[in-house]
Amino acid sequence: MKFMDYFTEAEVTRIHEASLDILQNTGLSVRNEKAREIFKKAGCSVDETTHLVKIPGKLVEECRKSYVPEYTFTAQDPKFDIVLPDNRPVVITGSSAPNIIDPKTGEDRRATSSDIANIANLINELDGFDVFSISTLAQDAPKGQISVSRFYPALKNCKKPVRSNTPTIKDLEDVLELGALIAGGKEAYKERPFINHHYCPVVSPLTMDVDSTDAVIYLTEKGLPVYGTIVPNAGMTSPMTMTGTLVLGNAEFLALSTLIQLIRPGAPMIYAVLSTVADLRTGNYAPGAVETGMLQMAHSQMARFYGVPSGGYIGLTNSQINDAQCGYETGINTTGALLAGSDMFNMGGLLGSLMAFDYSKAVIDNEIALMLKRMKRGMEFSEENLCLDLIHEVGPGGTYLDLKHTQKNMRKMAFYPKVATRDMRKKWEATRSTAEERAFEQVNKIFENSVQKTFPAEIDEKIRSNFPGLVKGDMVW
Amino acid sequence: MSTQAIYDAIMEFEDDDVVEAVKEAIEAGVDPQVILNEGLIGAMDEVGRLFSIGDLYVPEMLMAANAMKAGMKVIKPYLKGDDGGKGLVVIGTVEGDLHDIGKNLVSMMMESAGFEVIDLGIDVPANKFIETAKANNAGIICLSALLTTTMTTMAETVDAIKKSGLNVKTMVGGAPVTEEFAKEIGADGFAEDAGEAVVFARNLMAS
Repeated sequence: MKFMDYFTEAEVTRIHEASLDILQNTGLSVRNEKAREIFKKAGCSVDETTHLVKIPGKLVEECRKSYVPEYTFTAQDPKFDIVLPDNRPVVITGSSAPNIIDPKTGEDRRATSSDIANIANLINELDGFDVFSISTLAQDAPKGQISVSRFYPALKNCKKPVRSNTPTIKDLEDVLELGALIAGGKEAYKERPFINHHYCPVVSPLTMDVDSTDAVIYLTEKGLPVYGTIVPNAGMTSPMTMTGTLVLGNAEFLALSTLIQLIRPGAPMIYAVLSTVADLRTGNYAPGAVETGMLQMAHSQMARFYGVPSGGYIGLTNSQINDAQCGYETGINTTGALLAGSDMFNMGGLLGSLMAFDYSKAVIDNEIALMLKRMKRGMEFSEENLCLDLIHEVGPGGTYLDLKHTQKNMRKMAFYPKVATRDMRKKWEATRSTAEERAFEQVNKIFENSVQKTFPAEIDEKIRSNFPGLVKGDMVW
Repeated sequence: MSTQAIYDAIMEFEDDDVVEAVKEAIEAGVDPQVILNEGLIGAMDEVGRLFSIGDLYVPEMLMAANAMKAGMKVIKPYLKGDDGGKGLVVIGTVEGDLHDIGKNLVSMMMESAGFEVIDLGIDVPANKFIETAKANNAGIICLSALLTTTMTTMAETVDAIKKSGLNVKTMVGGAPVTEEFAKEIGADGFAEDAGEAVVFARNLMAS
């Protein structure tokens, strides 16, 4: 499959050079002291009063040499390990929404740790999803346990790679402790680190924060998996042109990558720059805007130039319900990104600009994911697949319907959707079901057949004595 | 000499022209209160109307507010006593959060509605809110959070403000913040957007 390019080679080079110009001449405000020290030691000019760090182009180029083309998401169960870009498109849930659309009442409410347990189980069972990024927060978390109350139910109920973030180093250490307890020791955990960390250390324009940057440094030093997401918002935190926003986001990616490679050369990274365009009629964030998809496509071309896997929050919607808007926003932007070479899609399950998780949306997104995977599999060109002999044999008229060849290929050649209906009108009128209702039937079916997973008793005991009062972490359906 | 030139300059977002027009009006002996009400506030009312029907976009509203502020600076010394000020607001993004677009919008809107605003910027610890509010006799403290993970910090900050015993109202906002959450953490007010924040702040100060 050839990827779609927005830019010529010369334009790509110019965007790269322009990014270096930004880092060298304007620089970044780096609020994290450790990061400033690392930049300073490597020869950047650092102003300790303004926190301004200017990164020489030469240093960025030097660090580029240690970029690696792969990134692995490790799972508790090794059969679910996922490698970028080989397993592209890697499909992930959207993360950290405060709310959930209650599956019984249909009302928007704060999410809890039981919701996380439910969602973890659902994602574990949906084939289209490769990684579970913890979809919501847990309002019922005991004091001091905000993060473990999310990771514990997630890890208990989903054996695919689990991904999310933590607000502080203390929380991060708690989560790593939880990982080590599940793995049966720190060394065992380090061998297969099945918690995949993600932070937003760069806040556009050109600012590195304290806490998220701290976490990135901490994890990179320890050799644990982490990558950063960068989100310029055209018209608000970046220029109101596509290329101006692209170049700013690209520069910010290079700055973060330089920091990471300075700490540990060869540390795997993902080019996750998710430029969006603000809706300047209101100032609202517009993840579902067509420009969000276009910018993702352009960033993916830059990621290919750097030889780093790419992707991130693409395919999200502004819609508050599972309506047409919801479907076309997710559909258009993920398709564009796939065709331009994005490897990772944090697209699943969220409504209303990442504010609420919805079960039906997750199942519809699962179907979109499977369609994207089908699209990526492509035409499978081969002499055999040209079927020349068969075409000669059947000739004009006739049918392929009763041929062995058809029967042999039909289950693997086509993707058969479960949410989409292909019924004729009369048959459909018997139920008049909507896509959302059919999706929810799938949800119910999955929960009917689900058994509560548990950790071995001695491990669970250790976890509970380590985190007294920890949430139960079981499904409630 | 009317205030039309001031009004027009604001509608064209030209700070320098507003300053010029205000100076000219003062020299021509136009009542400063008329300059303020018919020129500056009159134009901002029209800006607000055009924004609410979707003709003007956010950047235009901000530019108009900036132009209005430039004119306010010139006229302020000429206004007697109550300069239309509706009280002092301390605003900032809570500790751990660097996202300030929404907060800046609120800050700007409050200023153009006549509030005096002390903007503490981003990543502001609770005690800084309290100290600033105390030192400046603020009526309202406005807290902003965008990251869902900093909402707990918001709750702690509201708590700290209450415990400080300061006679000040608290207002919260930001993408993940809801009215329910605001109630839960004991904030006095919540607004979904900048326009609503101004209305709410006015009511809060009046109460």
